[in-house]
Amino acid sequence: MHNVDLNQLASLINKNIPGANAVVNVAPDAKLDSSINIEASHITKTAQWLRSNTELPFNALQAITGIDWMESMEVCYIFANFDVNASRELILKVRLTDRVDPKVDSIMKVYPAADWQEREVYDMFGIKFNNHKDLRRILCPDDWQGWPLRKDYVAAKYYNGIEIYPEAKMNFEDRDFIVRQAMIKKAQETKAQ
Amino acid sequence: MQDGVVLTTVDDFLNWGRKNSLWPMTFGLACCAIEMMATGAAKYDLERFGCGAFMATPRRSDMMIVAGTVTLKMASRVKTLYEQMAEPKYVISMGSCSNKGGPYWQHGYHVLNGVDEVIPVDVYVPGCPPRPESLIEGVMTLQKKIANERLLRNKWVKHA
Repeated sequence: MHNVDLNQLASLINKNIPGANAVVNVAPDAKLDSSINIEASHITKTAQWLRSNTELPFNALQAITGIDWMESMEVCYIFANFDVNASRELILKVRLTDRVDPKVDSIMKVYPAADWQEREVYDMFGIKFNNHKDLRRILCPDDWQGWPLRKDYVAAKYYNGIEIYPEAKMNFEDRDFIVRQAMIKKAQETKAQ
Repeated sequence: MQDGVVLTTVDDFLNWGRKNSLWPMTFGLACCAIEMMATGAAKYDLERFGCGAFMATPRRSDMMIVAGTVTLKMASRVKTLYEQMAEPKYVISMGSCSNKGGPYWQHGYHVLNGVDEVIPVDVYVPGCPPRPESLIEGVMTLQKKIANERLLRNKWVKHA
């Protein structure tokens, strides 16, 4: 992402971790960030190498996020090197083909910062991290049903006997902007006729 | 006034004492709590109204200012805190979120649509977040409400 030659880094990963299959994902726009995709099974080894290598080290994990692509899941890691003379950032992506029950190895032992980040991804997307010492929900209540940031998530009507969308308080018809715009458009069309 | 006599009704006397020593609970949920802190601090000085003593426990407080977004996870905790308060107890709902869900009203899967779903609310203070003046206005409204209470009649004389 920043101060990293991704092609060089990808070839280094391929050289040092056989089977990682690192591919540079070039962004279509200069404003967007390029990234590196690797095989999900090699994430722990890759993280180990990223942290410990001497050529392009990354000493910090900034964030882990999940992406729901409807047909598959993706986990996105942002690594960084906090060094005044050699600061750099990297977006590393891992594609998980099993969308219903996605699993990926935890990198908690390499980067301890991954602990809560992985718990949050698990909480929001239901992606299970193998070998995570304490994988449970972090933001939602423990008895929460479903994975809120999945595309097919339907918000619950009740939670512990509390009505989430009380009928008396909702006014969907008036407030639904798209519906209202469509109605205005239709009215204008009929007026023009 | 040294040997003077003050005549008043018992109700008025009790209400006077009550409304001028409302002790709120130290309880903030989100950004509205920052405004609540500002209200309690030197510039806006909630102590002028007798309610600057933020108590760190529900057992010693009369008033709960629900300042911020009440998530579904927090809803049961809010209810427990309210139940732990001693009677008489009053609730000010501060800000759009605790009034009616705020920006999470329609598409928030995790936010309670108004704290009045779980506890009774006396005064609603609109705003996102409300300025300290608004909260003071809410406190004054609550004081007016308390001043008009008929405690003795309501408690002991049924169907008066």
